[in-house]
Formats: sequence, structure tokens, C-alpha cells
Amino acid sequence: MKGLLDVELTVNGKKLEVTNGATITALLEELQINPLRVAVQFNQRIIKRELYESTALQAGDMLEIITFMAGGSQ
Amino acid sequence: MRSETALEHHVMENGDTLKFAGREFRSRLIVGTGKFPDHRTMQQAHEASGAEMVTVAVRRVNLDRTQESLLDYIDTKRYALLPNTAGCYTAEEAIKTAMLAREVGLSDMVKLEVIGDQRTLFPDNEELLKATKVLVKEGFVVLPYTNDDPVMAKKLEDAGAAVVMPLAAPIGSGLGIRNPHNIRIILEAARVPIIIDAGVGTASDASIAMELGCDGVLMNTAIACAKDPVAMATAMRHAMIAGRLAYLAGRIPKKLYASASSPLEGIIE
Repeated sequence: MKGLLDVELTVNGKKLEVTNGATITALLEELQINPLRVAVQFNQRIIKRELYESTALQAGDMLEIITFMAGGSQ
Repeated sequence: MRSETALEHHVMENGDTLKFAGREFRSRLIVGTGKFPDHRTMQQAHEASGAEMVTVAVRRVNLDRTQESLLDYIDTKRYALLPNTAGCYTAEEAIKTAMLAREVGLSDMVKLEVIGDQRTLFPDNEELLKATKVLVKEGFVVLPYTNDDPVMAKKLEDAGAAVVMPLAAPIGSGLGIRNPHNIRIILEAARVPIIIDAGVGTASDASIAMELGCDGVLMNTAIACAKDPVAMATAMRHAMIAGRLAYLAGRIPKKLYASASSPLEGIIE
């Protein structure tokens, strides 16, 4: 993620930089993540998929992007 | 196309399916997705098991995208997804995990796990009950993993659990059903399906669970870590049906002494 990078976020515990004003949709695209296979927690609250497009990211935002992984119990 | 065994056909003919929360499954086996040598083997094992429901963990997306997506190997039109809260140690964590899992939009069921001890992976029943109550209120179909404790099973049922899932033995131990008597007591009182979750080691363990009258079995390690996971999945498929049919057929009572099965008349002198 290089270019006009001016906003630092925390995504899944890692620091990432995105263009100021980038949306959650743009972030997922950049990370090559299929939005239909994940859920996003935005600053401690679950955010509905319909709002990804209209949610602009700001410095210090914290996101958790989760999906289904291999696992049976524990 | 799934090939149906004669036994499965018999089971279907009689409408003997697993039902809860408005859902219906022909197979009483639920299989995990963890610990398989690779995704392809997992896919083949799922197919061989005849299962119609698989359980998945809820985790952070890997940001470097080097790993393949598990969902590429599960046909969600064919398998119902049962997200689990594995790795959660408090009700709060488990609730948060379940909420995120539902947001993915592929399932409103949750295999609720709240672990109380790292070494045994036994559940923390106090936290489990708390989380069950909250998630039922939130509209989830809750399947809590619990001990083989009849009192706890009843409390979970009363809290609105759609299914209660007592363990046979510790997760991944392969010890089989350590306390069949408790399972029988749980079954006697239950008004919701009872599905054994964890501890199964081999096919006979699955059969015993079904012979006791359980409504299903969930397993992962027994299949995934077998030397040949696909062959073990096939064995489990048959073991489940054999056990179920034996239960429905009604076994003979155990007796201390012999009773001849050949007539005593007409014996050659």
C-alpha cells in the first residue's frame, strides 16, 4: 500500500497506511479481501456491510476483519 | 452427486432425520474443518462422511493473502456452516465472536464454546450459560458444548439452546464415551436434540453414541488426524447409520446366562 499515504490505521493488530478518506470498501479491495466472506469490527463495533462504501477511514481507526478458518473445537 | 447407501435410503424412507430450529438434516454427523493435512483432503473427507453440516472457526483474516481461503473448499449450498467460538474463555468473548460470525452472513447458528481450562479444554459452564442466554435473546440458533452433566444440560435447554452438545471425552482425546450412563440420563430428560461433541476416537465410539439414542455426533480430530482421513470419514458415515438403526431396532437386554438360539427338540441321539 504505497502512494499518497497519509492515514495510519490498525487492522487485525497491524499498522497499515491508507489514503486519507479511503472507505472500508477501498481498504478491502486493496487487501484483496472478498467482502462477502468477512465481517468487520470498526472501532469496537460491528459495522454492517451496507455501510462499508460510505465509511471513510481516519487516522487511528481500529479494524478487525474476520472470516471462517479451519477449526473444529478449541 | 452424493451416492446414497442402502442404509441411508432406509433412514430417509422412514423420515428419520435430525431436526432442530426449523432445519432438517439427513446426516446425523457433523464434521470439523481443523487439523486436516490439507484443504483437498478435508473436502474429500467431508464428501465421504455424508455430513451436511461442518463447523468452522472464526478468526482474523490473514492480511498477507498467502493462505488459501477455507471457503473455497466448502460448498455452502451443500453444507450448512456451524461457526464455533473455539478459543473463547469468557462469555463476553464468545458473544462477540458469535456476533461477528453471524455478520459474515452465511449462518445464524453457533457452536458455543467457552473454555474453562487450557489443559483439559473443559467448558466453563457458568460463562457458557450466560452466553447462551444472551445469544438466544439475540436470535441465534445456539448449540452449546458442555460436560456430560445432566443438570447443566437441562439448564442450557431451559435457556433456549436449540441443541445440547455434551462431550464424550476431552476434545481431541479420542477416548470415546467415558460416561455412557450420564449420557443416558441426559437423553431421558432432554426435549431438544442431544449431539455428542468431542472425544470420539474411532467408528465404534460413534456407533455407541448413536446406540445410546443420541441425535448426532460432532467430530473433527478422529477423522482429520486418522492415518487415512477419507477412509475414516467413510467408516464414521457407516458407524453413525449402524448405530442409529440399532437404536431404532431395539437391542436385546443383556443377560448373565446363555439362551440357545437353536431348538432343543429334534436333537440327534
